[in-house]
Amino acid sequence: MRNRASTSLSKGKIRQSWSKYNLYNLQRFRTPATANRTFFQQKWTAKATSRAYHGEQVREGQWKRMFSKRIRSVIPMNTTDLAADDGSKESAGRGSGLSESGGRNRSRPIPYTQMAFAPLERRLDVAIFRSLFASSTRQARQFVIHGAVTVNGQKMRHPSYLLNPGDLFQVDPDRVMYATGAPKTAFERRETRQLKQKSDDAEGEEAEAKPEATEKDVKENARDSLRALMSQAKTIMSTDKDVLPAKRKQELRGFQKAVRRVLSRSDTSTVLTDSLEAQFSELTLLLKAKRTEKKPAKESKKEAKEETTATATKSEETASGALSEAFQAAAEGGAVDTSELTDEEFDILKRALTQMRDNPIDHSKPYATPWRPRDYMSAFAFIPRYLEVNQNICAAVYLRHPVARPGSAEVPTPFGESISTPAYGWYLKRRW
Amino acid sequence: MAQRIQSRRVSNALLPYLTSSQSSSTSSISSTCPSSQLFSRQFSATAAPQTKLRRQMFQWLSTEGATLKHHIPGETNYLSGRAERDGDSNEAPRPFPGNRNFLSETVLSEELRNEVYVRVVEKKKSLRAVSVELGIDMKRIAAVVRLVEMERRQRAQGKPLALPYARAVHEMIPTTPLAQEGERQPFHEPINDLPAHPSTGAQIFYPVPESRSFTRVDAGRVFSGAPTLEKAVADKISHPSDLVDDIIENPNSIEWVGKGKNARQVLQPADVRIPHPQLVKLELDRKAFPNERRTVAQRHAERLEKQEAAEKQRRELAQARREKSIQHVEPERSRFEYRIQDAKFTKETVGVDGRAPWAPGRRYGIPAEDRKRGMVKIPTRVEA
Repeated sequence: MRNRASTSLSKGKIRQSWSKYNLYNLQRFRTPATANRTFFQQKWTAKATSRAYHGEQVREGQWKRMFSKRIRSVIPMNTTDLAADDGSKESAGRGSGLSESGGRNRSRPIPYTQMAFAPLERRLDVAIFRSLFASSTRQARQFVIHGAVTVNGQKMRHPSYLLNPGDLFQVDPDRVMYATGAPKTAFERRETRQLKQKSDDAEGEEAEAKPEATEKDVKENARDSLRALMSQAKTIMSTDKDVLPAKRKQELRGFQKAVRRVLSRSDTSTVLTDSLEAQFSELTLLLKAKRTEKKPAKESKKEAKEETTATATKSEETASGALSEAFQAAAEGGAVDTSELTDEEFDILKRALTQMRDNPIDHSKPYATPWRPRDYMSAFAFIPRYLEVNQNICAAVYLRHPVARPGSAEVPTPFGESISTPAYGWYLKRRW
Repeated sequence: MAQRIQSRRVSNALLPYLTSSQSSSTSSISSTCPSSQLFSRQFSATAAPQTKLRRQMFQWLSTEGATLKHHIPGETNYLSGRAERDGDSNEAPRPFPGNRNFLSETVLSEELRNEVYVRVVEKKKSLRAVSVELGIDMKRIAAVVRLVEMERRQRAQGKPLALPYARAVHEMIPTTPLAQEGERQPFHEPINDLPAHPSTGAQIFYPVPESRSFTRVDAGRVFSGAPTLEKAVADKISHPSDLVDDIIENPNSIEWVGKGKNARQVLQPADVRIPHPQLVKLELDRKAFPNERRTVAQRHAERLEKQEAAEKQRRELAQARREKSIQHVEPERSRFEYRIQDAKFTKETVGVDGRAPWAPGRRYGIPAEDRKRGMVKIPTRVEA
């Protein structure tokens, strides 16, 4: 199917998409004027605008067959009210209930016509977009066609599959990260190309690079690398806005190297080749062991450090400066082991390690790494209640069909009732 | 090719979740302004790279729209603006400025999801009980258990997860947190939603004498066109929720009206049709015994137990009946297990003359239509 769903500025149509063009169109959208226009014209415009958003990938005839004039709605019941009487009070008097002073439970009207396009929300591609797994319905559709989506564990290649209540659909997490993540910069793309070229002879090099340190070097190395590790972790965690992404990335890479160096000295040689999980647990184990060892001997230094930490609460930068100073003093003194870490430092290191494990730099990925959400994603981020989503595994369950309730409708639509009502009327068999 | 405006400086978004607690990762607006580009090329003969609309768009994106570029962790960042939200802070935020009726409602936080899983799977509580405790719909609880189970399995298998993505999403949308020790758990959603029945759509003029008490039970009968209850039967029902017990015991006991295609069950009162009818009984008990909390709780527990037992028995019966109709054949040294079900020849399954197009098997003179033009072969259901 040809993609006619451009988000052009001149037409100003709103689409199911997270593009910034769409955001701008959404922002400048005004309800079409009704003065001096026939009812037919009003309905036509309303139908055209709302169809550009709701299922523009669905042919008009197909949608007309799907349309149902029956709209699902629910009323939240209060059990206390139900228990209070058997309904005879409501039917007393002249049949509309004895007039109650104040009107305690005047419920808000149910916006029925906002649900005009509810049948489209059952479609698999729309549901994927609504669960925030794709940045547009078109992209969701592509994921389905390319075989990245399963329904109840079976691959489903039809974007028009209508989900049944209780259906579980899952999208390949890599695709989701790609769809929702920031795109690569030119620099990162170059890195990717280089990575590809290098991939042939990379293995041989790595085998050579394994450090074979003598017994004597080990202690020196340990001190240096741990110090480097610490300072790098700190810069990574610093919240400085002026640091350019390239610089930050260099730091991250350096940190990664330092971690590898520390790990290479550990007793088990398999850790390096193991998964990141194993590396992480090994490193934390190493650090924890050192920390518990050192705790009783810490007394002398503690007072000095406490002062620095007290000031540290005010501003992060002075803290890191003071900490690094303390580190250096410790390193020069020689008597004090460098592996002595304060709680704060340990926390920082741990967080940096977690970040390394969960969100690593990986140029083989099709999105910018470390992953971050794409621009303007937050303006479109909401999950309707008829879906239950687990973002960790990129899976969601279609719980039930969307419903309207007093004061709100569950079908996400950018249009108010002045558009949805004439659009609903357009699709009725006996048109208004 | 039109120039794209790149923001020179990137905010802290590189590490979106690590720094979430300490800093606000708002964007710094790029210093390049589109209008300055225009002035720099006023003697150029080539056509302007940007149309007026594009220029306006980038103008807006660099001024008012700049706040939308990156989110502040723990806050929604919708077009309808932060200022508007502050006005009615207890209401859910609205993502679309043009639609007052769509709310961005909360989702379950990760901790709450895990808590649901722990209560259902490890503490072996029933879905119904957990639903009432946490104020989460029963269907959602079942889905959460399924999803968390799946997540644990994938973690154990070492399959890739989208953890940074999950954290970012949970920072952007409102979530229902898990209450701390000693706090009251905030309810996630209304759990007693009564679906509007289609037959209640009709406006019916039904005169009732003032001396008669016209209850919800009577209203349901009127809507479904059933005759009025006998006085002896009606007098036994002191409150509409008295019908709940019988219906839970035996759902087929609901009366039918109409014939043939028009046959329908009598519409039951709201007390029966809500997902948690036992809560109405609990309220009634509370009113009847205001000072005997223990009795009330005990009666409630008994009712719950009875209901769960009845539901379980019904499920087992249905499963047994299904199993009975299926013959399993497992040939030796075969990978397959055949499940053979006898075709039933009734009017419903094969039609009046036994040759209906939906009847099973191949019949002479009844061609299969699956190769015909326009026959839709997209599956309508996928078995779990």
